[in-house]
Amino acid sequence: MVIFVGKRLLQLVPVLFGVVTITFFFTHVAVPNPCAAWTKARTPGAVQACVVTFGFDKPLSVQYTTYLQNLISGNWGTNSVQQPVLPSILRAFPETLELVFASLLLMVVLGIPLGVVAANGAGRWPDHLVRTFYLSGWATPTYLGGLILAIVVGPALGLPYTGDFSSAKPPGWEIVHMSVIDAMLRLDPGALADAILHLILPATALAFLNMGIATRMTRGSMLEILPMDFVKTARMKGLTNFWVLYRHALRNSLISTTTVLGIAAGGLLSGTVVIENIFRWPGIGTYAFNAIIGYEFAETIGIVIVFAVGVVLANLVADVLYGLLDPRVEWR
Amino acid sequence: MTEPVLQVEGLSVDYEVGAGTFHAVQDVSFELHPGRVLGIVGETGCGKSTLAHAIPRLLQEPPARIRRGIVRFRGIDLLKLPRWQLPRVRGTGISMVFQEPINSLNPAYRIYDQVAEAIRIRRLRESGQAPGLVSPQEPFDYSKPKMPNVGEVLLKPLVPSKGPASRRPMFSKDAQDLRATVLEYLKLVRINDPDTILNLYPHELSGGMRQRVMIAIALSGRPSLLIADEPTSALDITIQAQVLTLMKELMTEIRTSILFISHDLGVIAEMADDVGVMYAGHLVELGPVDQVYRDPRHPYTKGLLRSAPSKYKSEGPLPSLPGSVPNLSRLPRGCPFHPRCVLAHADCTQDPGPKLTKAVEAAGPEHLAACYYSKEVPGIP
Repeated sequence: MVIFVGKRLLQLVPVLFGVVTITFFFTHVAVPNPCAAWTKARTPGAVQACVVTFGFDKPLSVQYTTYLQNLISGNWGTNSVQQPVLPSILRAFPETLELVFASLLLMVVLGIPLGVVAANGAGRWPDHLVRTFYLSGWATPTYLGGLILAIVVGPALGLPYTGDFSSAKPPGWEIVHMSVIDAMLRLDPGALADAILHLILPATALAFLNMGIATRMTRGSMLEILPMDFVKTARMKGLTNFWVLYRHALRNSLISTTTVLGIAAGGLLSGTVVIENIFRWPGIGTYAFNAIIGYEFAETIGIVIVFAVGVVLANLVADVLYGLLDPRVEWR
Repeated sequence: MTEPVLQVEGLSVDYEVGAGTFHAVQDVSFELHPGRVLGIVGETGCGKSTLAHAIPRLLQEPPARIRRGIVRFRGIDLLKLPRWQLPRVRGTGISMVFQEPINSLNPAYRIYDQVAEAIRIRRLRESGQAPGLVSPQEPFDYSKPKMPNVGEVLLKPLVPSKGPASRRPMFSKDAQDLRATVLEYLKLVRINDPDTILNLYPHELSGGMRQRVMIAIALSGRPSLLIADEPTSALDITIQAQVLTLMKELMTEIRTSILFISHDLGVIAEMADDVGVMYAGHLVELGPVDQVYRDPRHPYTKGLLRSAPSKYKSEGPLPSLPGSVPNLSRLPRGCPFHPRCVLAHADCTQDPGPKLTKAVEAAGPEHLAACYYSKEVPGIP
């Protein structure tokens, strides 16, 4: 298994190289000279100074090799106001990760049991009810669902609906930039409660919109597994329906559900942009949006790199879980 | 006569699918007495598997629907039992061995966990911690010295070995005890190195081994009724013989009542005390195996027996029954067999068809046939 994980991590290198190259050329070819947008003064002198500073006057190949060299040495470049990109990405990305983890957790603890309930009552009212629930989530546009949660449900329940925390934290208070984990690390129960309260609405929004992935997959594979003989064996042992469903049938259905959730987790990363904007969550989604709007090449490529790493790791985790869940899988 | 373990009266099961209603089991009645083995034999699609699944109510409803009938197991009417109470009867009351050993074990769990689960359920019930049907009636009482062979295997506690197989940490005395019991049952089904088997997954075992494990699971609940649904049909012929020998040996060791489903006349002859012959969802003949085989009283049984290959009759082509099995959604009126029957008269085509009654001039009173002309059957060439 260690070798398997190592091999997969090695595959990350060509993936990242490809992603960086493609993004680099797309951005630089589409907008050969963003300095007109970057400079506030808009005088030819200021623009020219900007072009020289960022090296846009050099051939594209030179710009590319310079960027790659910097990247390998750990310098992710600077944005238009000469600030290094990496620290801000490292601050924003964990915030998004926290949101994604929280909604994945909701999708697992709510979505999977709902799928089991639907499969158990297939064709009857529980099935229809569950389907209505996840389809309404799926069919709702992200901005609408998020907005309703933010301006109707949130105030009604008295939940805070922005990422602005009630108490300002002293600088350096955040260790990993995930509010819940930071509060745990700082052993601060008040901050922990605050962090969780702030997380509920955006995580629910993200989870509700994507609940269908977990529920539908669980329901589908449960329906495939329930008629199998080993489920009958479990029933004939005298197990109650609950244990037959959860210990025997679900255990085997999870094998396919985890794979899909792994892929979905990668998708969730990029799906947070709208949710983060609505809830003013200080994550990578907002950051990415602003970066692209402002022609911030270094920021854009940096974001693409962390997204690529995130997606690959999510898939790797799914594959490892798949292997752990299904004893028939060989680590290769 | 003792109280029967299982009484089936007028059981009818339909499948309601798009193409129509299929009458898979029609008005089937029989009794199974303690310690007896009742074989059900018939062609593919005659409803014998549906019958086997209908008794512990394993059928998926819908599409299946139990139209009417009574299934009385040790005095409990299973068809009237609410669904949530069914598990209490299963395992320690009725257990089952399925046809395909490839599919009948959970691929995600080790053999140990799968056998231990059944034993744990029985123990919880025996100690009164979980509701369920336990303590089988008289001839099944395992504590009585009536089954001496069982005692040796089942009663001797085994010390858990310390080989690589005991990777699973054994913390409590209970866990060690459970492991010992699992080993006993694996030894009971003649698995030579149960210690290694314990930590394997089903896909790492051969078909014959899996079926042995399946039998161990079915027996570990100490059921008073074991339903074996074609337990050897999916195995290749040498393994089939091994598993049959094993079951035969176990039958003398554990006198549990068995409902043995098979399409193989030879297997039934080997295993069963009584035999029921099914045709197109109907039970057409029922009686002790030797009587039914020697002196069949239903034309279908006669034809079935004649078309079985035998080492004594080798000249000429193998005789076969003319015609084909009727479509279960459009059964002929009256006796379902009349279109293929040489004895068919006008009254055979009238509804209701012949009921299972004592065969005329049969050797014993328990030999039943559903034929108006059972007296003439011996005369069919």
